Amino acid sequence: MSLPELGLLFSVLLFLIGLFAVMFRSNILFQMMGIELLLNAANLAFVSASKMVGNLDGQVVVFFVMTIAACEAAVGLALVVALYRERSTTETDDLTLLRG
Amino acid sequence: MTTFVFAFLGILALFLGVFLITRRNPVAAAMLLISDFVILAVLYGLLDAHFAAAAQVIVYAGAIMVVFVFLIMMLNIPNEQIRFTRVTNIEWLLAFVGIVAAVIVAQASSLGWLQTAFPNAARILPNAPSENTRNVAALMFTDYLWSFELVGFLIIAAMIGAVVIAKQGRKH
Repeated sequence: MSLPELGLLFSVLLFLIGLFAVMFRSNILFQMMGIELLLNAANLAFVSASKMVGNLDGQVVVFFVMTIAACEAAVGLALVVALYRERSTTETDDLTLLRG
Repeated sequence: MTTFVFAFLGILALFLGVFLITRRNPVAAAMLLISDFVILAVLYGLLDAHFAAAAQVIVYAGAIMVVFVFLIMMLNIPNEQIRFTRVTNIEWLLAFVGIVAAVIVAQASSLGWLQTAFPNAARILPNAPSENTRNVAALMFTDYLWSFELVGFLIIAAMIGAVVIAKQGRKH
């Protein structure tokens, strides 16, 4: 297998690991780390595809994805702070305010 | 040799990811995530994306994870409060099916598919290591200039939003 093919394979598996973190962990901190893994898997796929087809647009998109990830982390962690102040919990299973 | 190193580091990254999502202590998970990001940076370097590798270490392993670790230590949640959801048998089965399906799809979508999808995609070649950052910058400040400006606006908006959201608790 060539390097980019291996990279695509790893990116798929890394994406799945991040997805499992979001699906199977109830703590919001671990879910956010899972989201970071998802974004990194996408980045790895972009870089691999960029190497595969021999153009650099994928690497520019990687830069944009990192910027979006920084925005996401900043807003998300601010929300976690607000949540912890309000409810003293970081478990998403405890957020049952809207449950009928 | 390069393929072997790449495969070894990739598998290491996957194992670190699995360790990460099974930890109870968030600080340990954050440290594992940092090492995962550094390994991914090495993978980018092996794929000739040197600018992406540098940005990965500086932005991800540096800036974003500092925010994460800072927040985890500021909240200082006792480990007993962090729960694991019980994964049922059917969920394990679905997860396994998902892994197998994803690997098959990744195998199927190899070189041929991408090159038929982008037949004349090769725009800036050759991609010599020393030229990578220059070529990426040339592309970013010509074809992607508008996106670049918009992303700058977005990150300012996100920063203001984060400050507003985090300060709201003081009213109560």
